[in-house]
Amino acid sequence: MLYWTYILILVLLTTVVGIELFREKEWKKQMAYVMILIPFILRILQIK
Amino acid sequence: MKKNHITAIAFLLLAAILATLAAVEFIGKREKDKLFPAEGLTRVGKLSDYLHNLKGSNGDTDIYFFDSGVPGGTVLLLGGTHPNEPSGYLSAVLLLENIKVTTGRMIVIPQACHSGYTCTDPMEGLPADFTLDTRSGKRKFSFGSRVGNPLDQWPDPEVYLHYPSGQKLSGFETRNLNRSYPGRADGTFSERVGYAIVELIKREKVDLAFDLHEAAPEIPIIKAIIVHEKAKELGAMAVLNLEFENLKYALEISPKTFRGLSHREWGDSTSVLPVLMETSNPIQGRLRGRTNEEMIIYGVDKNYKTALESGKLRIEYDPDGEPLKIRVARHIEGFRAVVAAYNEMNPEKELLFENIPGFTEISESGLKNYLY
Repeated sequence: MLYWTYILILVLLTTVVGIELFREKEWKKQMAYVMILIPFILRILQIK
Repeated sequence: MKKNHITAIAFLLLAAILATLAAVEFIGKREKDKLFPAEGLTRVGKLSDYLHNLKGSNGDTDIYFFDSGVPGGTVLLLGGTHPNEPSGYLSAVLLLENIKVTTGRMIVIPQACHSGYTCTDPMEGLPADFTLDTRSGKRKFSFGSRVGNPLDQWPDPEVYLHYPSGQKLSGFETRNLNRSYPGRADGTFSERVGYAIVELIKREKVDLAFDLHEAAPEIPIIKAIIVHEKAKELGAMAVLNLEFENLKYALEISPKTFRGLSHREWGDSTSVLPVLMETSNPIQGRLRGRTNEEMIIYGVDKNYKTALESGKLRIEYDPDGEPLKIRVARHIEGFRAVVAAYNEMNPEKELLFENIPGFTEISESGLKNYLY
């Protein structure tokens, strides 16, 4: 149960980071956002 | 389209490429090593035969049975309890690919913590596998994490409470198979794997059981044979016989208050005589420098050597390293000595094998001749 709660939290965080990525004006900060997204997506897809 | 949206999409595409490359590597770690059991193999079982809820999971490791058909004892040997300790795994593979059982029964689990072989420890810069020259050419063997894959058991608690003792350990240890015995059928993933192994010992009426490990040079139990107190005479006899061969092994008795380990819980929960053996390898060490396949195979590290030369290293360390072939040779010779001592003490439950190379044969000719 706790496992899926964490996955749900990750999905929410990934969505928020994704939204912020498109709101962000500075390309350097956008790059930081996508670096955060990589492990999140791999974990949501049960790859890492 | 706004300029920042264009850059966002470009970065997302770049991230997708990087994630795909990483995903290919992560998924590749799930591929099983191909093993080639010796002719006397009777059957291959699964750990889920002893706990159904492991079926199809990463904990459902293969179990190899060699039954001579001649009444005698039953011995179990585990490699890969910690998948970052390759001499234990390779020793199990070497036995699996060579052994001929003539009296009694042998059970081999080469990858006891199969889940740990599907990943490596984060932030350690560890290789995912290593390649050895074998009779059939170059062959890859997996190198994994000390503990199970977080995909199989996640999140880790802040503090791990061992069942049933309540002993407190760091949260990371919750995925450590060798802190999860005797386990429970409805527990965490690692507790279920531990429970299934204990069930196997009970149902198969195992008399003698080995758990093969490696440790960092600075850990005091390297080159030790650790036994449950009920196997202390057995261990003492084996260590003495090894001394006659000029091989030094320290005999350690399993501490009663350190719970969850094979040498403690197997002995407390079942009638088996548990034996754990350790070799030394700097790839587990905190002083180590560049960590690669060579360190696994040759057991040499520049940083340990520098520390030794500076006179500040207060442990025993061979600057020429301890190669994998020597570490495997020590495990195999230790196994032979303990079995010989067991036969002396239990003539009615003998365990007789053929085709197991000794320390000198392995250390002189290498592993190549003994791996398919």
